Amino acid sequence: MKKRIRIKDLGLDDAVLSPLTPEDLQPLLGYDGEKFKTIKAETKEKYDFSLDGFSALSLPIPKSKEEEEKIVNAFLKGLEKLFTKENNWGFLQPTTLSTEYCMQCNTCNESCPIYTETGRQDIYRPNYRPEALRRIYHRYFTTAGKLLGKWSGADLELNWRVVYHLAELSYRCTLCRRCASVCPIGVDNALLTRELRKLFSQEMGIAPEGVHKSGSVKHLKTGSSTGMTPAVFLDNIEFIEDIIEEKIGRRITIPVDKQGADILLIHNAGEYMAWPENPAAFAILFEAAGLNWTLSSESMGYEGVNYGVWYDDVQFSKVAIAQVQAAKRLGVKKIVVGECGHATKALVSIADRLCVGDLAIPRESCLPLLESFVTEGIIKFDPSKNNFPVTLHDPCNLVRLMGVVSPQRNILRHIIAPGQFREMPNAGVNNYCCGGGSGFAIMNTNNFPEWRDSVACRMKARQVLEAFDDCLDPTIPKYYCVPCSNCKGAARDGLMEHYGFRDKYNIIYSGLVELMVNAMVDVPSPFISWEDEF
Amino acid sequence: MNLLNHFFTVPFIYISIVVFLSVTVYKIRSYQEMPRHLRWDLYPIPHLGAEGSKYQKLDFHNKVPFFSKADEGKYLGLEMVFIKKAFVNNFRLWLGSWPLHMGIYLGAFWLVLLMLGAIIEINGIQINGAATLSLGWAVKWMTIFVGIASFGAGLLGTIILLWLRYTDEELRYMADFVTYINLFLMLLVFGTGFMAWVTVDTTFDMIRLQTKALLTFSGASVSSLPIVFEMMAFGLFLCYLPFSRMMHFAAKYFFYHNIMWDDEAMKPGSKLEQNISSYLQYQLKWEASHISSGGSWIDQVAETKSTEGGKQDEKENSH
Repeated sequence: MKKRIRIKDLGLDDAVLSPLTPEDLQPLLGYDGEKFKTIKAETKEKYDFSLDGFSALSLPIPKSKEEEEKIVNAFLKGLEKLFTKENNWGFLQPTTLSTEYCMQCNTCNESCPIYTETGRQDIYRPNYRPEALRRIYHRYFTTAGKLLGKWSGADLELNWRVVYHLAELSYRCTLCRRCASVCPIGVDNALLTRELRKLFSQEMGIAPEGVHKSGSVKHLKTGSSTGMTPAVFLDNIEFIEDIIEEKIGRRITIPVDKQGADILLIHNAGEYMAWPENPAAFAILFEAAGLNWTLSSESMGYEGVNYGVWYDDVQFSKVAIAQVQAAKRLGVKKIVVGECGHATKALVSIADRLCVGDLAIPRESCLPLLESFVTEGIIKFDPSKNNFPVTLHDPCNLVRLMGVVSPQRNILRHIIAPGQFREMPNAGVNNYCCGGGSGFAIMNTNNFPEWRDSVACRMKARQVLEAFDDCLDPTIPKYYCVPCSNCKGAARDGLMEHYGFRDKYNIIYSGLVELMVNAMVDVPSPFISWEDEF
Repeated sequence: MNLLNHFFTVPFIYISIVVFLSVTVYKIRSYQEMPRHLRWDLYPIPHLGAEGSKYQKLDFHNKVPFFSKADEGKYLGLEMVFIKKAFVNNFRLWLGSWPLHMGIYLGAFWLVLLMLGAIIEINGIQINGAATLSLGWAVKWMTIFVGIASFGAGLLGTIILLWLRYTDEELRYMADFVTYINLFLMLLVFGTGFMAWVTVDTTFDMIRLQTKALLTFSGASVSSLPIVFEMMAFGLFLCYLPFSRMMHFAAKYFFYHNIMWDDEAMKPGSKLEQNISSYLQYQLKWEASHISSGGSWIDQVAETKSTEGGKQDEKENSH
């Protein structure tokens, strides 16, 4: 039930400030009677669930006044640093402007799927947490705020609950930036959410386990966020070569560490572990196209992800530079990022300005290259081999944050049987997040996955059902095309497992390259199967 | 009372203009001097035209990026004149926001016409009694129409927004005290202007006369109370504006050009590269354990070392 939670209520000492119940969720075809699991009492005593009944961060409840003060002081120190060029040159201007100029018009609210799918709970408004941040900043760091308090708009008193609630709230947004795209002024509330995450990580060491310790830290230590070492990577390559031989009847040697190649292809390493058909499909296509390409087995050279892009500029910089350095050591002419939205955006766009001096090396998305295989007739495709309904998911990082909208559509038009491709509602730059964005897909502690699947993935589930509403009959196999690893994780856990898309509607998910290989004239048997486990 | 009349129609106006200009320039300069940020584009970017993002092209780094000033201008025009984003995404709010903004634009134009009329009169050409279709005549009638339109639109927009903020629970929920201060200030500005026009200055001759006095530094003041209130409200608005979020009129330029549409690529030897290289020397003070507090950004990155791998042949030979 919707409860009015004002900004200044953020520090209230309620058991749960804004409890989310299954009844709050917007109705979705065939999904009534959802239940949330009960959290054990000892877990609730240990970690803070007081924002909405969920926990993404496993924040330990402070046991003394000193601990509470320490939390508040650390937060204030971090908040001050966000507005200094030495500590935040990378985002000082956007952060300052978005902090100063929100006109509180709520235009952003209806664009946010988290807000709408939860029955419009106040705390999930895209402007709620940034507005809290503004009022705190105003209260503690401006003359007017210190002197006039609420009369100047600074009506939020800080306590440890406010800090903890803001920390959790910063992980109730997928950073999809739909809110920024509709703001009449250009205020970016998703950016401010990321700045909050940055403050918590870079000052207070607070970040989700899967994103930081088992994410970027593991990545920098072992070479991959999956923990896959170079030796294991090479074993995986051999396994993928086996898959290729099994699928197409002949063996392809995947080039690794080829000095001076034209292209270094870098995948989200999750592909090797969870969806090896994807790097296999890339290898088949690249070999058929006669490209001079390579993978890298060097630590930091085979893992395309950059979790830092979600929460921490220092980790982001470390990963991006290490990836570029690995490519430079191989002497390749350019880096091509495989099917991963955030990896592409991180390396090709955001990190572009970090590539100074001898770090300058061209970097691009795989999609224009794949498009050229189709449009220039480099590889022959038979669209009749993809004669099943297909809809396309648009990864936020590719469409809204990089403008890559047409190559994937061009490809699909050429490789899908006529009449079988259908767009989702709100396709292209107006897309909705898969539900796994900003790290959600790999955040699996406490009951956060339940929140992610029920809330963050809900709009995507709705879109897919609408796209296939004329063929939901499970006797019709359907393909949800997801050209992004992170989004595939959300599809697996959210759409397939939580919403039962595979079992109920015979919808499977996979990437774009798998569809391409499935349509290749030279590949004798289907590359895609509805019987195989995805 | 005469002293107050004089203060609000002469020195206060000069003070408010100086405050407005100096603080506005200071703020704009401070935004301009902030470091170039990391890329944070948001698409579609209008200057890319129908071709769209360069990332859609193979080997885009070898190609000259497409740039269409016409497409950018068209987008900006629609946004500035019609507040298109609000029209599309929040029509109810647009019903108040658009007339308010039109009132402000027309008000700025009206001020220009007042100054033009004053300058014409300083040069010996009479506005009142000017021959039909002469410059003086044109300025007179434009001033009247634009002024009335400005006060009318501004009042209408402000009243609609105040009504929405009062009656719409969701808008009321999010609004802080300052939002209402801003709207009441706009009501005061347009309301006093309207009252002055309707009661004592239907042809705007009195306000033009006072404008002439201000431009020539004659020190002459106005005794008519509606004009005094009008000028006092305007001066108060000018003093307050650069400290408030109503400065979004300037900030919007930065939001669009400097952030959402800033897709300039890094090029070796460029000014951008020089700037970024200098920022990388800044010393961080963040205190989390994974950061070397006190070290530079370069220091943080230099700590990352490749631990193994990289030689496929050696691996094969070792098997």
